[in-house]
Amino acid sequence: MSKNGLPKLLATILPPLGFFGLFLLLWHLAVTFFRIEPFLLPGPIPVAKAVSTHFHPLLNAARLTATGALGGFALSLLVGFLVALLFSQSRLIERSLYPYAIFLQTVPIVALAPLIILWIGHGMWGVIAVSFILSVFPVIANTTTGLTAVHADLRDLFALNDASALQVMVKLQIPNAVPYFLDGARISCGLAVIGAIVGEFFAGYGAEDFGLGYLIILTNAQTKTDYLFACILFSTLLGLSFFAVVGLARQRILLRWRGESDH
Amino acid sequence: MVIARNLDRVFAGGLAALEALNFEIARGAFVAIVGPSGCGKSTLLRIVAGLLEPTGGELVVKRNADAAGREAVPAFVFQDPTLLPWRRVDGNTSLPLELQRLPRAEIRQRVADALQLVGLEHYAHLFPRQLSGGMRMRASIARALVTSPELLLMDEPFAALDEISRQHLNEEILSLWRRNRWTCLFVTHSVHEAVFLSQRVLVMSPRPGRIVADIDVPFDYPRHHELRTAQEFSLIAAEISASLR
Repeated sequence: MSKNGLPKLLATILPPLGFFGLFLLLWHLAVTFFRIEPFLLPGPIPVAKAVSTHFHPLLNAARLTATGALGGFALSLLVGFLVALLFSQSRLIERSLYPYAIFLQTVPIVALAPLIILWIGHGMWGVIAVSFILSVFPVIANTTTGLTAVHADLRDLFALNDASALQVMVKLQIPNAVPYFLDGARISCGLAVIGAIVGEFFAGYGAEDFGLGYLIILTNAQTKTDYLFACILFSTLLGLSFFAVVGLARQRILLRWRGESDH
Repeated sequence: MVIARNLDRVFAGGLAALEALNFEIARGAFVAIVGPSGCGKSTLLRIVAGLLEPTGGELVVKRNADAAGREAVPAFVFQDPTLLPWRRVDGNTSLPLELQRLPRAEIRQRVADALQLVGLEHYAHLFPRQLSGGMRMRASIARALVTSPELLLMDEPFAALDEISRQHLNEEILSLWRRNRWTCLFVTHSVHEAVFLSQRVLVMSPRPGRIVADIDVPFDYPRHHELRTAQEFSLIAAEISASLR
């Protein structure tokens, strides 16, 4: 960490933490003042108690959901990159297949998820498949842009030196696409977590194992609203963790492309 | 070295960019091409480089082959430095040689020589973003010179630089040319730059580009900064400006 790294980190973290504290206080005051029924909106203290009481099942569910989301995200990065490579090779291929890629983005995943579970089966692979479908499009779209948005002069420079198609791809297009790919990954990682949770609405891992998606459905059906809020809190933290890790990795890799000034 | 006979270029949609160009450029000559925006100067340079085909007439570029039988590739310096941001200065300079698949040891040596030529030998490890505009352009020139070209094509390379940097680089490019004697075609908007650098100025008309004047610049080399204020210099610049109207 650089000399002014800690103050900078505090300056980044303290304002949102302060706002969160204020939000908790207002939430508590509102619930108490308006005497809202706990099954409609529990206060922050019952939610904290629910987290404490159900900490182990929540942690285990979050671990399983994270595994599914990680699988979907990894598959999105790999398949998204390969599809973008294919698109970048020919305008005809891109024009022919791009509408189907958009389909992945626009189809209501809640409607599609039961079908996917039906075809792939319950368990981790079904969850990974739903997570993948929801998160692959940003990787395809961004990486395709990066692979094709190459400066015309550079294309000329490569042509002038009789570069092969493979050299153009490896030495020009792929490095040019890295910042775009990472931007796509940053959008995709949050979607992968949402996809895994939606997948778990319909697919379980077995009698003993369940992810956050299943817990959300279960606690909602049993009107355990404080426990439901605890699930939402864990889901949010999971999404934030994914976003933070991918964001840090992106920033680190982009140092080579953009220098220290990029955030 | 370069011979054009009745050279035409018409783009798709019928837009005529060049019309009936005739000129000959001797080996080792420094020739400037001036003309108004859109007159086809860059198109002409791209045709000479082999990046575009003429739609009529004939263009001959005589190329020698090296000991391995490889034909000399023309080198191109673009208006923007167009360096790869993810490569350091030495990595950018080595790019044409990597594409031509030369042995690594040879690449290393030639990159070091090229960087020394342009005065960037101490900046080889920096990324383009860490360089000034003038240094980036020097790196771009090093990338062109690393192939030891017979023919150097420069498309308004100093247009985006401030006047002081531009004049410095004008003097440096002349000094490099006198040592290496590649044939140079230098496209510019600046009449004064054309007169200062070249032995001969081809003046082009607005689209479709034709050569409306072919003016000799009789000053000896080396040329120094003081030449820019000489009366003869102004007279030739005035003659070219008149041809552009």
